[in-house]
Amino acid sequence: MTNHTKADSFSPLVEGQGEALKKIILVCGARPNFMKIAPLMHELKNHPQLKAVLVHTGQHYDTQMSGRFFDELGIPAPNINLEVGSASHAQQTARIMTGFEKVCLDEKPDFVLVVGDVNSTAACVLVAAKLNIKTIHYEAGLRSNDRTMPEEINRLVTDSISDYFFTTSADADENLLKENVAPEKIFMVGNLMIDTLEANLAKAAGSPQVFGLINKPGRIDINGLSASGYGVMTFHRPSNVDEKASLERLVTIWGAVSQQIPLVFPIHPRTYKNIQQFGLLETITSFPNLYLIEPLGYLEFIHLVSRAKFALTDSGGIQEETTHLNIPCLTVRPNTERPVTVWEGSNKLIKIGDIEAEAAAIVRGEGKTGNNPKYWDGKTAQRIVTILETL
Amino acid sequence: MNRILTIVGARPQFVKAAAVSRSLKLHGIEEILVHTGQHYDANMSEVFFGEMEIPKPAYNLDIHGLNHGAMTGRMIEGIETILLNEKPEALMVFGDTNSTLAGALAASKLHIPVIHVEAGLRSFNRQMPEEINRILTDRISDILFCPTDTAIQNLENEGFRHFPVQLIKSGDVMLDAALFYAKKAAAKSTIIEDLTLKEFVLATIHRQENTDDVQKLRQLIEGLNEINRKTPVVLPLHPRTRAILQQNGIELQCRVIDPVGYFDMIRLLQQCQLVVTDSGGVQKEAFFFGKQCITLREQTEWTELVAGRFNTLVGTDKALLIKTFDEVQAIAADFSANLYGQGDASDIIARTIRNVQKQ
Repeated sequence: MTNHTKADSFSPLVEGQGEALKKIILVCGARPNFMKIAPLMHELKNHPQLKAVLVHTGQHYDTQMSGRFFDELGIPAPNINLEVGSASHAQQTARIMTGFEKVCLDEKPDFVLVVGDVNSTAACVLVAAKLNIKTIHYEAGLRSNDRTMPEEINRLVTDSISDYFFTTSADADENLLKENVAPEKIFMVGNLMIDTLEANLAKAAGSPQVFGLINKPGRIDINGLSASGYGVMTFHRPSNVDEKASLERLVTIWGAVSQQIPLVFPIHPRTYKNIQQFGLLETITSFPNLYLIEPLGYLEFIHLVSRAKFALTDSGGIQEETTHLNIPCLTVRPNTERPVTVWEGSNKLIKIGDIEAEAAAIVRGEGKTGNNPKYWDGKTAQRIVTILETL
Repeated sequence: MNRILTIVGARPQFVKAAAVSRSLKLHGIEEILVHTGQHYDANMSEVFFGEMEIPKPAYNLDIHGLNHGAMTGRMIEGIETILLNEKPEALMVFGDTNSTLAGALAASKLHIPVIHVEAGLRSFNRQMPEEINRILTDRISDILFCPTDTAIQNLENEGFRHFPVQLIKSGDVMLDAALFYAKKAAAKSTIIEDLTLKEFVLATIHRQENTDDVQKLRQLIEGLNEINRKTPVVLPLHPRTRAILQQNGIELQCRVIDPVGYFDMIRLLQQCQLVVTDSGGVQKEAFFFGKQCITLREQTEWTELVAGRFNTLVGTDKALLIKTFDEVQAIAADFSANLYGQGDASDIIARTIRNVQKQ
């Protein structure tokens, strides 16, 4: 434990309780963090002896990527916003470190809790460790073993200096044990994303399901599609969408798949920009059943996913959501840091060349099904907070 | 690989980097030297570079005097810009400073392979910022040159044999540097003659955890004063530390001198009776020159020195320091033990780098 003052800097919230308060800074910075922070913030409200301070680094800062998620998920406004904005990896990391160091010196927390694997995660844990503040990493131990992914570097950095490790599955525990982390520092708590999913599915069912198309006039009504079935797509990874040859190949394949089953594609701004730049807009627009729509809010998105026949993706979180919902997921990547979704869940890692055949199998009703991994049950935030009280 | 970029920031790193630079040149590898500016040091003038035969940095980021987080952040930013400009085949860092970490982080995010010299050292005390820097730098490095068997073992314990990296025992570049400069020191330094002392103890105190804590500092100085009554103690002291002593009314009875350059330091090490230090590097240099060392810290990264009874840890306990001073002089340790290689670490490093295929 640090020798920072515990009770001096703030007044106890519960009068007359002799128990020392613990102050925890929770860090979020980018879109994938918000779904993990939300259930923790909700649960912490029930535990006045833990004083939560929410710090938003501002890595993702606009309404589309940040504000809307806070509203939808009912996350309280951050106590502190570092507002680092968009910049190169290094500039962003530099600004986060400078800003967060000041926050830690002012707030003198007992713990800093970081989630996931974005730049904010690594930068803040590094600052806290240098100030001898105890650090906690939620979603620890994930490894893609692919160091060309910036997220993998962030994971390695974060896990090599954290004090406590909250993991989402047993394979993550094993990774940490192999790296000489003491077993008593590791807590398998399940998946916060599933807490958020469970808490919001019913509410999401009321979200609008008619979306304007972005590449041509017209709208798509998901209710009209759901009877015959549709696939939902997300693609944004540089290895897939940043080079013309691979993106061109993907567009052709998406078009072919959309002739078997309609595809709804909430498109990442970078992917859309690349499609325009590489002169692929005309091709992609020529497929009548390939529906390009704006990136969605959380509720719209999970509703869309929950009713889909399958997902076709290269991103991380949707692999977990589809596993929990037992919807086949085709992940176009050579590796995943979430292998439990493959070993136990409905996720499959595939090559670009296999997309058509795999989609055809799903259309025939031969998609992969699986089981819900242990503790992916909506109660992860409770488990985490119970442990936080004992640390 | 034929072209690498080297990050240095602290004075000892210049000395170590220079040893490697000489070998890189022999093996035809181009090197771009970047100074972060972490240690602003009056001794690092033109004369320093000339006398020490150290290549001058191509870039100086001039970053110093900030908190750890802000300093590291600014360095990452500055180093990234240079990496994008220079596009080296790899980045090389030394030791365990903020400059080391910043270089490794900036390069790893750009997919530039990271070479860490002095990898695998552990004090197992995470309260030390250097320990955090070591752990992190090792974890994101691609080629790790370890000075000792202990260092290799530390990395193996952390699972490094499972990682897609190269672990190489190179020996210690400090030994290369010490041997190189020892040949020149007698011609360059007159410090022993100037001091007119026959027998003396060499003491150094510079570590922040000792100099910023008045209680600890008082204990240490009182201990050294006590030793000084038996054998004169030569203590090069930073003016800042001297000011702290004065402000707190801590009396100095040792032979206090201004901070010394490397050649003077080598001669002091060669001629002294024993060494008292809180520095990491000086513990090893004491061994290179066959001197017993008393270390004013609770842990050391150089555990093989303690195991071999070349080094004794006393922390900041005054009584223990005095008692140990009396005891260590009776220890008969065999300084010919080969703990840090043969003085060919730089050559091993340069040869390995040359033989790595460009990615």
